[in-house]
Amino acid sequence: MPTAGPPYVELQTTSNFSFLRGASHPEELARTAAALGHAAAAIADRNSLAGVVRAHVAARAAGTRLVVGARLDLTDGPSLLCFPTDRAAYARLSRLLTLGKRRAPKGDCHLGRADLFAHAEGQIFVLLPPTAPAAPDAGFAATLAEMRAGLGRDCFLAAQYLYAGADAARIARLAALAAAAGTPLVATNDARMHAAERRPLLDVLTCIRARCTIDTAGRRLAANAERHLKPPAEMARLFAAWPEAVARAAEIAGRCRFSLDDLRYDYPTDPAPGGGDPQTALERLTWEGAEERYSNKIPDKVTEMLEYELGLISELGYAPYFLTVHDIVRFARGRGILCQGRGSAANSAVCYCLGITAVDPARMDMLFERFISTERDEPPDIDVDFEHERREEVIQYIYAKYGRERAGLAATVISYRARSALRETGKAMGLSGDTLDALSRANWGRRSRLEKDTMREAGLDPADRRVRLTLALARQIMGFPRHLSQHVGGFVITRGPLSELSPIANAAMEDRTVIEWDKDDLDALGILKIDVLGLGMLTCIRKAFDLIAAHHGRRLDLAGVPAEDPAVYDMLCDGDSVGVFQVESRAQMSMLPRLKPRCFYDLVIEVAIVRPGPIQGDMVHPYLRRRRGEEPVSYPSEELRGVLGKTLGVPLFQEQAMRIAIVAGGFSPAEADKLRRAMATFRRTGQVSAFRARMVAGMLERGYDRDFAEHCFSQIEGFGEYGFPESHAASFALLVYVSAWLKRHYPAAFACALLNSQPMGFYAPAQLVRDARDHGVCVRAPDVNRSDWDCALEPETPGAPGAVALRLGLRQVKGLSEEAARRLTAARGAGYGDPAALWRRAGLAPAVLETLARADAFAGMGLDRRQALWAVRGLGAAPLPLFAAAEDRAREAADSAPVTGGGQETEAPGPFAEPPARLPEMGTGEAVMADYGALRLSLRAHPLALLRDGLAARGYIPAARLAETAPGRRVRLAGLVTARQRPGTASGTIFVTLEDETGTANLIVWPRVFEAFRRPLLGAVLLGTAGKLEREGKVIHVIVDTPEDLSPLLVGLAEPAAPGKRAPRLHPRFPSRNFQ
Amino acid sequence: MWLPRLPTDRLARAEPRRRSEPLATVRAARGRLCLAAVNGPADACGLFPGQPLADARALLPALRTAPDRPAADAALLAELADWCGRYSPWTSVETPAPADMAAPADIPPNAARHGIWLDVTGCAHLFGGEAALLADLRRRLAAMGYAVRAALAETPGAAWAAARHGDRATVLLPPGGIEAALAPLPLAGLRLDADALDGLARLGLRRIGELAALPRAGLARRFGAATVARLDQALGRAPESIAPRRPVPPHRARIAFPEPVGRPEDIARALHRLLETLCARLAARRRGARRLTLTLYPGDGAPRRTAIGTSRPLADPDHLLRLFAEKLPPLLDGDGIDAMALDAPFTEAAVPRQAALPRAGDGEAAPAADPAALGLLVDRLGNRLGRDKVVRLIPRDSHWPERAQTAAAPLAAPRKASGRTTNATWPAAGARPLRLLSPPEPIEAMAPLPDQPPLLFRWRKRLHRVARAEGPERLAPEWWRDPAAAPPAMRATRDYYRLEDRDGRRFWVFRAGLYDRPPAADGTGDANATGESTATGESNATGETSPAPRPADAPRWFLHGFFA
Repeated sequence: MPTAGPPYVELQTTSNFSFLRGASHPEELARTAAALGHAAAAIADRNSLAGVVRAHVAARAAGTRLVVGARLDLTDGPSLLCFPTDRAAYARLSRLLTLGKRRAPKGDCHLGRADLFAHAEGQIFVLLPPTAPAAPDAGFAATLAEMRAGLGRDCFLAAQYLYAGADAARIARLAALAAAAGTPLVATNDARMHAAERRPLLDVLTCIRARCTIDTAGRRLAANAERHLKPPAEMARLFAAWPEAVARAAEIAGRCRFSLDDLRYDYPTDPAPGGGDPQTALERLTWEGAEERYSNKIPDKVTEMLEYELGLISELGYAPYFLTVHDIVRFARGRGILCQGRGSAANSAVCYCLGITAVDPARMDMLFERFISTERDEPPDIDVDFEHERREEVIQYIYAKYGRERAGLAATVISYRARSALRETGKAMGLSGDTLDALSRANWGRRSRLEKDTMREAGLDPADRRVRLTLALARQIMGFPRHLSQHVGGFVITRGPLSELSPIANAAMEDRTVIEWDKDDLDALGILKIDVLGLGMLTCIRKAFDLIAAHHGRRLDLAGVPAEDPAVYDMLCDGDSVGVFQVESRAQMSMLPRLKPRCFYDLVIEVAIVRPGPIQGDMVHPYLRRRRGEEPVSYPSEELRGVLGKTLGVPLFQEQAMRIAIVAGGFSPAEADKLRRAMATFRRTGQVSAFRARMVAGMLERGYDRDFAEHCFSQIEGFGEYGFPESHAASFALLVYVSAWLKRHYPAAFACALLNSQPMGFYAPAQLVRDARDHGVCVRAPDVNRSDWDCALEPETPGAPGAVALRLGLRQVKGLSEEAARRLTAARGAGYGDPAALWRRAGLAPAVLETLARADAFAGMGLDRRQALWAVRGLGAAPLPLFAAAEDRAREAADSAPVTGGGQETEAPGPFAEPPARLPEMGTGEAVMADYGALRLSLRAHPLALLRDGLAARGYIPAARLAETAPGRRVRLAGLVTARQRPGTASGTIFVTLEDETGTANLIVWPRVFEAFRRPLLGAVLLGTAGKLEREGKVIHVIVDTPEDLSPLLVGLAEPAAPGKRAPRLHPRFPSRNFQ
Repeated sequence: MWLPRLPTDRLARAEPRRRSEPLATVRAARGRLCLAAVNGPADACGLFPGQPLADARALLPALRTAPDRPAADAALLAELADWCGRYSPWTSVETPAPADMAAPADIPPNAARHGIWLDVTGCAHLFGGEAALLADLRRRLAAMGYAVRAALAETPGAAWAAARHGDRATVLLPPGGIEAALAPLPLAGLRLDADALDGLARLGLRRIGELAALPRAGLARRFGAATVARLDQALGRAPESIAPRRPVPPHRARIAFPEPVGRPEDIARALHRLLETLCARLAARRRGARRLTLTLYPGDGAPRRTAIGTSRPLADPDHLLRLFAEKLPPLLDGDGIDAMALDAPFTEAAVPRQAALPRAGDGEAAPAADPAALGLLVDRLGNRLGRDKVVRLIPRDSHWPERAQTAAAPLAAPRKASGRTTNATWPAAGARPLRLLSPPEPIEAMAPLPDQPPLLFRWRKRLHRVARAEGPERLAPEWWRDPAAAPPAMRATRDYYRLEDRDGRRFWVFRAGLYDRPPAADGTGDANATGESTATGESNATGETSPAPRPADAPRWFLHGFFA
């Protein structure tokens, strides 16, 4: 493209990882540098190395190399660029940045000259002069001399041609200063963008940073668009009078021989347990574990697998990694923390024997043809899920064992998403709040496109220039990094100091430290990490196991749950899956009766099929048809039979999609991997279409039809959003099975564990309790004399073992703190006789007691909600001194000699006894509504049951009647809205779930109806609807045409005497958990 | 009386078309935007104060919003309280409970806001009785565009409850019937604090009558003495005193006519009298008016207003009357006027001085030496030429030379230009010429490519040979402004040069357009900013994506200014 010039490298390059200062991605900068013919690409972000890996990968792909550097902004000196020449110098730079970041609050870095001088060895420094219009003065000359003295010989001074008018004079002045200080002049262009076209974006970023609008930013913006990468010939022209300054830039780059490829990862080599080298130790542990798992009868198949896998591990030297994971899992197990591994390597026989997973490779019909890719030299991948409430213990163990010097969390790059991009850009462009709201709304639910029609609908003029500019800029800014956050649990553990690999910063959470690179960066460099994740279902399962052990005397663990129980599959085939891991969502529930899982592998498919990948690839229906025998099982080609055999010829898993790219699309494994990565980040780099063309062409060439090829690619795109490989599905499927088994056989314990693990899963306590009662569990209300903080099991009849009832815990009481509940239970003794006793003995504030009264937790004392409230309110006044002394004596007596024989201490009517107050009695409706208000559920009755007569008169039928209604009939239904969903894959269709006293019903609302009936659909707590019934097998939907807001009926229940007020917010999930 | 929709009524009065569309005021509460007040149409759509804006928008995308301005509402309320002076000299604005003031982040309940007390004891007969008074009040306020509810009772508490919760817009409680009349009304009518109200509701108590039936001691113990006191006040068992609103600071003069007047000269005479009264008062306080508002009250219908502004604080009736002269005629159409009021909402301290005439022959120095004289001059020039014709230049924060200054009112403080605070300064000295040509004038110039300074140029047929040159200083246009507003040559990136010709004259010239880059390559035009047209192949309206430079795009030279 440009005419050749002298060798040149742009050293002063700022990417968008200098947040809101650079307007180009590192990849764009690296690619452009290569295209312009720079001798190398360089990058130097503000006190950061966060963008270097991306730039490195892009540079490598573009056939050039990356000079790694950072711009250091000092607290007591000029800013300068720092380029390490070798690995040791890189380590020093990384340590230096760690030092600065660890002592500063998150996102900041405090470095002084002294720190810099101490880490100067092996670095090349380029000092930056003050920017125009302030001319470099004598003060700067002195600073320059000091820096030169402190930093040594490899110290240069940068000069830029700014197009500010007097550039020649300014550069001449800098040249003189440079000569005097012995810091030779280097030409740079202070590039903040890869091309001049990014100027508007850079201006907008400046506005966002300065919190001003484009109209008020004024001279804070750059005067021109010259701060971009320029061809060497152009640099030579601008610096015609100083050719050596241009040459020097290339020389400096040439001397920086350090490459990120040098960061070869070294696994931690902590002494293997039992001594010996890691491989020997691993083999010993594996075989010992195998003996234990299979009770000394290891199946031949497993022996074979183990030998093969251990051979592979030995060949690739991964033994230390497996030992590290094993160690963490062993620790968790020792603490009684339930955990389970997943990921390609996790579902190996070795991991099963090491106890990392509980998916028995012998029992399940799974083929793990390649658990580690030998071709790609990719490190093994094991994620370990732990109970979410106890994951922190594991994390602290890792920090304790390896020290913060050697263990850190990977970063997550938080990027601008459609919404945030639009909001911030719009603010910077000076759009009004109303316009912005309208824009976001019109844009809502769509990925990036904004059609003119939707804009008009939102009352915006699509031709308005400001609006158009804003949208275009917002599209550009999407995918720009905003800040670094911590990865949920991706640990990097190194042999040497971690700070020599990447700078370490403080995370927002206390006691956490984070490196600057994210998962993809670590992957790209082949650096190994272990994901330590939290999973609510594991907490729930462990609690259920504990409850079953305590109340039924049966000890269970993940691997010990009886396998392939037909009763469990019967239950799942009915779509009866509230609370079951993964398959409890609306979509999964309607899939279960269609897929009819009968064995473990069916669950693996069930978990994987309701995902963006298969849905976008249009693979779901073909699979279901084939499964039901409505369509013959065929393979697109013989070569794909091996890939698709397990799934009836339909690709469902991410692995299969990637294999298709290789087998049928002609990709090399390494290319397929690149494709997978490109998908994960396609928004950032925008290179999808090239891959699409390649894959489709490759498949056409090999004789596949275009339709299939396009679908395969769409599927890969779907995986890009949320990759879901078979290896993960298998681990999840085990938890599906275990939780379903618990639900089937121990519904009370399961419901109790679910409630105690909240918040998790898809359903609110009200639905969980209701489901438990539907399954015959006796559920009892929270009670100050019987409930603990957690929900608990108690004998259904006191003193009689056997049947258990579920006693709701005080945790269900809205607004009650755990600490207050603990004090209540600690001082309870033989029980409280009245609210006053509770007040005095537990020392709880009257407000806390009021909370309990509102929850009707005094009902056990014979006080209804209002009487209890009246009593509790009366406690508020401070007791008179005389009276308090008497109370103290009574308290001592009560503490030393609890009343026996079931009798409970009672407050004797004192001298100040009041006349009783006659309070209005509470009707059932009022009580139910008050229950919902204080507990978010009611055990008395369903509100709809109380309204049923009125509803029936209006022609509304109960949900249970839907099953006996013929498809195509119009029905009228009413119920509490428990969920509203607008899946991204459903092009604007809304799914609403209604609940009444007989069951739930699923509504589908087409976009046209939604627009016409926005208000009732979004606003109603109690929704009435008319529509057509549709049925597919056991799955019933109502296609809504005329919804109606019936919420005022609920108000009528709550306040029979005062209609006309607004509906209370009944449902805790109201309205928009899934709806943003 | 209660004005349930005061904030939105205030907005609708300024912009009547808003009355029929859903409108709400919005304020941040607990970290998100919530509705603070809604108008009738919005209320009919189910929106309510305190509702999060996001929820409201989900229900009603067409909702228009305006920021909540409690101060403006309060000022208006005070004004209306004064207006009520026509019924009784004793009026008072209901101040929100201290609790509401303590947590300004919360939306106070609407009922607690925007109330006005009137003590009409002994006044009602002037209006034909209490019922007639209420009707008149409501009719007049409705005509002015306010929703209003009013009640008249023996106790303030009962009137409050009936105004807010009565079944009609105006309620007249019969003497001695308070207890029966209040019994069915909700407890919210008692002005209880939110905590007590909530607690009582939880006990199932909803009506004032139910509360009155409970044991008083137990009630006081549980819900505070204040609760019982409110009940007693409403029922007339305990006295309640309300302080009348303090009189407005006397920057106001009023006049009432025994019968409506309509002749211009009568009005002008009355105005002069008002001006004299007001100016005398202002002068006594050593203040001068910067702004005056004149309100004419017709016998029926909405008041008519006009206002004048002055460049300096003034207290000279004659001068001010001249400024009003042009404003009066449009106000005189329609019914006759039965009252007039003159307000000085904006005054400034004015050092009293002799109203001396500028000395003859001292014309040059006088304006600078005597700011008052300058002010008179500016006012006079402004009145003759139009106020917007007399301006001065102040700096504006922009790189683009044409936009780096703006015209401001001649005597306003620079910080207050166009009502907004601007702390812009002139660019560093020397970089910009003293005088700019507007518009820049085309020149012919000869310069080496691509961006060397000209060697010679021709301006107005005269050739200048460049002896010394500095540059280029590259300035890119402000891409966010509509490019269609300027001719193509004026919206290209410019390279500026400071030139000195052989005669020592110094010029500021620029080349519009760059030789090595298409006109829009640095985000100047739509093509780049929108980034899409090239990708999708559609060309935009102005056709700027065309890659081949057309003659119109070829760089051209201009002379823009002169250095001293």
